[in-house]
Amino acid sequence: MLWVDKYRPKTLDQAMVHQDIALNLKKLVAEQDCPHLLFYGPSGSGKKTLIMALLRQIFGPSAEKVKVENRNWKIDAGNRTIDLELTTLSSTNHVELSPSDVGFQDRYIVQEIIKEMAKNRPIDTKGKKGYKVLVLNEVDKLSREAQHSLRRTMEKYSASCRLILCCNSSSKVTEAIRSRCLNIRINAPSEEQIIKVLEFIGKKEGLQLPSGFAARIAEKSNRSLRRAILSFETCRVQQYPFTSKQAIPPMDWEEYISEIATDIMKEQSPKRLFQVRGKVYELLVNCIPPEIVLKRLLHELLKKLDAELKHEVCHWAAYYEHRMRLGQKAIFHIEAFVAKFMSIYKAFLIATFG
Amino acid sequence: MGKRNTVVISSSDDEDYEPSSRLKRSYEKAKSRSSVTRTNPSRAKKPRLPSFRLSKESSDVDEVRLAFEDFNEVFNGFKVSAGSRRSNAKELWVDKHKPRSMEELAVHKKKVEEVKSWFEERLRTPKYLQGDIGSSVLIITGQAGVGKSATVHAVASQIGTQLCEWNAPTPTIWQEHVHNSSAGISGINYTSKLDEFENFVERVRKYGLISSSFNGNSKSSIILVIDDLPVTNGRAAFERLKTCLVLLVRSTRVPTAILITDYGNADSSDPNARWLEELQLSLESAGASKVLFNPITNNSIKKTLSRICRQEQCNVAAEEIDLIAKASGGDIRHAITSLQLFCLKPDVELDLSSSNSTPSYPKENANELTAFNGGFSSQYGRDETLTLFHALGKFLHNKRDKENVVALDQNAFCVREKFSRLPFKMDSPEKILCQAHGQSRPITDFLHENVLDFLCDEAMDDAWAVASYLGDADLLLASFRGMLTRHSETENVLQSAAASVAVRGVLYGNFHPSPSRWHAIRKPNLWQIERSLSHNQNEMLRQRFMAGSGSSSLSEVSVIATEYIPVLKWLGYRTSSGLETHDSEDDSSQTMSMIDEQESKISDDDIEDW
Amino acid sequence: MAPVLQSSQPWVEKYRPKQVKDVAHQDEVVRVLTNTLETANCPHMLFYGPPGTGKTTTALAIAHQLFGPELYKSRVLELNASDDRGINVVRTKIKDFAAVAVGSGQRQGGYPCPPFKIIILDEADSMTEDAQNALRRTMETYSKVTRFFFICNYISRIIEPLASRCAKFRFKPLSEEIMSSRILHICDQEGLNLDSEALSTLSSISQGDLRRAITYLQGAARLFGSSICSKDLISVSGVIPQEVVDALYAACKSGNFDLANKEVNTVIAEGYPVSQMLSQLFDVVVEADDIPDEQKARICKCLAEADKRLVDGADEYLQLLDVASNSMRALCNMPQEFSFES
Repeated sequence: MLWVDKYRPKTLDQAMVHQDIALNLKKLVAEQDCPHLLFYGPSGSGKKTLIMALLRQIFGPSAEKVKVENRNWKIDAGNRTIDLELTTLSSTNHVELSPSDVGFQDRYIVQEIIKEMAKNRPIDTKGKKGYKVLVLNEVDKLSREAQHSLRRTMEKYSASCRLILCCNSSSKVTEAIRSRCLNIRINAPSEEQIIKVLEFIGKKEGLQLPSGFAARIAEKSNRSLRRAILSFETCRVQQYPFTSKQAIPPMDWEEYISEIATDIMKEQSPKRLFQVRGKVYELLVNCIPPEIVLKRLLHELLKKLDAELKHEVCHWAAYYEHRMRLGQKAIFHIEAFVAKFMSIYKAFLIATFG
Repeated sequence: MGKRNTVVISSSDDEDYEPSSRLKRSYEKAKSRSSVTRTNPSRAKKPRLPSFRLSKESSDVDEVRLAFEDFNEVFNGFKVSAGSRRSNAKELWVDKHKPRSMEELAVHKKKVEEVKSWFEERLRTPKYLQGDIGSSVLIITGQAGVGKSATVHAVASQIGTQLCEWNAPTPTIWQEHVHNSSAGISGINYTSKLDEFENFVERVRKYGLISSSFNGNSKSSIILVIDDLPVTNGRAAFERLKTCLVLLVRSTRVPTAILITDYGNADSSDPNARWLEELQLSLESAGASKVLFNPITNNSIKKTLSRICRQEQCNVAAEEIDLIAKASGGDIRHAITSLQLFCLKPDVELDLSSSNSTPSYPKENANELTAFNGGFSSQYGRDETLTLFHALGKFLHNKRDKENVVALDQNAFCVREKFSRLPFKMDSPEKILCQAHGQSRPITDFLHENVLDFLCDEAMDDAWAVASYLGDADLLLASFRGMLTRHSETENVLQSAAASVAVRGVLYGNFHPSPSRWHAIRKPNLWQIERSLSHNQNEMLRQRFMAGSGSSSLSEVSVIATEYIPVLKWLGYRTSSGLETHDSEDDSSQTMSMIDEQESKISDDDIEDW
Repeated sequence: MAPVLQSSQPWVEKYRPKQVKDVAHQDEVVRVLTNTLETANCPHMLFYGPPGTGKTTTALAIAHQLFGPELYKSRVLELNASDDRGINVVRTKIKDFAAVAVGSGQRQGGYPCPPFKIIILDEADSMTEDAQNALRRTMETYSKVTRFFFICNYISRIIEPLASRCAKFRFKPLSEEIMSSRILHICDQEGLNLDSEALSTLSSISQGDLRRAITYLQGAARLFGSSICSKDLISVSGVIPQEVVDALYAACKSGNFDLANKEVNTVIAEGYPVSQMLSQLFDVVVEADDIPDEQKARICKCLAEADKRLVDGADEYLQLLDVASNSMRALCNMPQEFSFES
């Protein structure tokens, strides 16, 4: 088992970061009612961990007995039936799913599953909660229609089920939903907190941490705890005992993108653009999301540029990322960005060095 | 017009059927032929058995009727009434004016002679010697409507042989069969067309069915004609067809003509077209001879058309005939049909003689003829199809005039030199798109894949402009995705706008085209990428529990891809199924490269002859 | 009602005024509607104005006061944007309801009970234009027995033919005093302890939207218990603390790209919603005294662009970075367009 999972706090009390939030959550469910919740915050900040701990707090250890299912739905949408398949994770008291996985038909899933859960509502016996919890991941990726129908179902079945929504950015969730939920912002843990967690894990594993080593990992992690723990474990495999100068292995795709950035800086020509396209394909095939590719590429390019150019480049990155969202094929827009960069940079070089 | 009768033999009946001796088998020149289904509507209601016909001419109707009674006895409950056909004014001219003799054929004399001598040789040579002169199968290929079947028919009647045709049977749909059998109409088992064909070929190979059953009474010999090959869908079915035909070629003793319609420059991505080509090759290598029929020349078509005009007593101006002939693109069947259509028009003569007299045709009428002379006539023309590759080639090579010949008029909108481009040396891009039947999505993808090759090495700004325009096209294609199903018109507008933007963007952006070099057009790599992407994604979704190993929550794909997978790789935990993903990826990329080769081969040719 | 429902009932519902005269701050509307109650007759109505100013409350209150609890179900149809309101609904559901005849106007149990039905279309501006056009016919055909109440935020999104058939009422944003008094009333009822600083924070972050204020209050009460300070309210509302906004603004002013980049990274890592950041940044820029109008205009333009892109789902980091870089260029008078034409 990976350390990330091994040392994931199981209860709200064990939480090492966000203790204040954990405390409030405990208070919240201690009272008889639990409103709909919306957790938002950057990736790797601990939203999922908190949600799982919260479920355990509500339902006790039975919340951890989950089974994975590939479920099929046949949905009657007016004149045709739609078949949808989605992986769900469920215990007796909760169901977790990522409705955005089914793409633009996500709204059917949302409606259907909530209806279904409302139907077989657990019978309220002594001490047990009379409702089920539905955990929806990536609500910010839900289509507008799905969010709309989510809102309606939220109201309709609020007696029989509670929703816990989880997303990265709350600005992509409609106001209507946000106002019906209790919004909980989970900020990324600070570097000090990450260091603390790493040291804790190190102690548990019986490892000697040279001074400053944990800090270096934390710095590289970009304030993502998951990332920090994962690279900590990689370092452990790579070389132990640790040395304070030890290199922290970057993710392979990040290295690849930095290669691309170097390529772009070296030569600006349609031919090179074509080579870059091939490399970007390689990344995309391995499921690296295009916006992450673009962001990382920007990051790498910014490192190598003069301030004057930085403004221009980041403007175009924002411009093309937006178009990528609207468009269908990411590669067109990434390529356009690269082409724009090359054309700017070439002009810059000519202007500077003649 | 002679009466004609048709003997129908079910190909699935038993071998030991002995034909009635009353059938008189004197073969006369076929006056006219047309398929049974067309002339006898009642036939259509019968369970449509796949059949091969022995087209023959008999002067004695009664005898034939008797023959049919015999048939009825043999085929329990299977009735065929031999309808004597009325000579109908409404008849298609194509059938009515079918060539009856070799002289009437519009096909080039040399080709006809070639076919004739081939058959004569086969028929003259005694059976036991046939092995020495090669296979007794002749493949005749050519575009649609160049007179392949007509030639065979005419030749057969010339040299006095009977023709036995195997036509692809009218497809029986499964439901219909179920309906029939449940209603007790027929006790026939359902067999697929391919099965029928295989059985038939098998019998011909082994027993020489026709010769044994019919030849006994007649001195004339038999030619087997396989006109339509059964439709195959899927690779497996095609392989069966191929082996079965190859066997036929190798072993049959009956002179056989296989007619294969060559779809010429049809979309090369259509697998059927590729398979047909493959089929021809393998048949040839099995020893079959091949004759290629070229499109019929304009003059021949014109001659035929004027003959028909004389016979039908239509008064059609010579230039009209000329026009129709030109527009037909060598397809005589199409030409005759056009002629008939043209003569049907009641106001046609008015129309031509006095251009302004008909109110429905205002002034432009005078120009109409000249417009026709442009060679593109919507009224008579076969669609002037360009292949996708031609179109792409045009767009990518970006041929322009050397200088701006269009004199600028004073009010014209002037653009800065940086933005102005020379006029195209081609039709407007939209027209080309239309002719190439280009779907905007694939066009855009193809352009995206290939355009960079055609840019000059220095022209970075051009590359950006092109990339940006292609991005615009992508946006247009993506907007309102799936939401406009009700408004197909809007969708169409969007689609064509996107195609325009992509094409014109490429044409405009490519300001400094690379010195015209030869490039192969590649198939968009993107498609393959997308396929493997979705495959990998599903794979990851399935494995996310393994990857998380014990974590009790769902993680997002992006997190898995960017964080877990790289770390797991590092840790050497690579799950076995993880390896699988990679294998299958390799597999598909191999097939991909195979496709690539084919594609580029085709495209090379295209570009060269363009 | 089950206890679960009881306690989770939103305060917004719980403290919704039940009578037209209780509706806060909308004197003119209240006066006209009280007349209506007396004469038991009214035209079609269109309520518009910013959210949380009492439009829905008024419509519901008047319907209740006209028909009383018994007849309410059969005489009033409520449809809001979350219901499916395509053209088909207009054609079937609304039409069916409108077509039903009603008995003559007899007072029942102290309610006027006029001889018509009421259809309340909440959030009418989110109806499609097709549906609105279809409504037009329905309104005319059944005007004898049916009254329509349209409720919307933006009157410009109601097609003119519909708007012209209605009596229009504009609802004003609530003033701070009225908000405070309402909130204090609720605090009293719920036994909450709210200091004066928290109270003023609440009115300012809710921007005249009473519903939002009450929602925040309830959220904070749930999370932090009965004693609420202004920090709690801010954390619940999703408003970004002023320090963070100021830090970003200062970084833009400094003209140092890397500093701004770092600030942007912090904002993202802290999980603040960027759309919120943009609107707060907008406030800062507009209110700043030390920058000329032209610079303000340049910044606002890029804020607007970024906001639109965020709505389309663009990446938060890139957009905020773009905004920061553009504002920096504006504030430090760098050239807006980058060129090497010189």
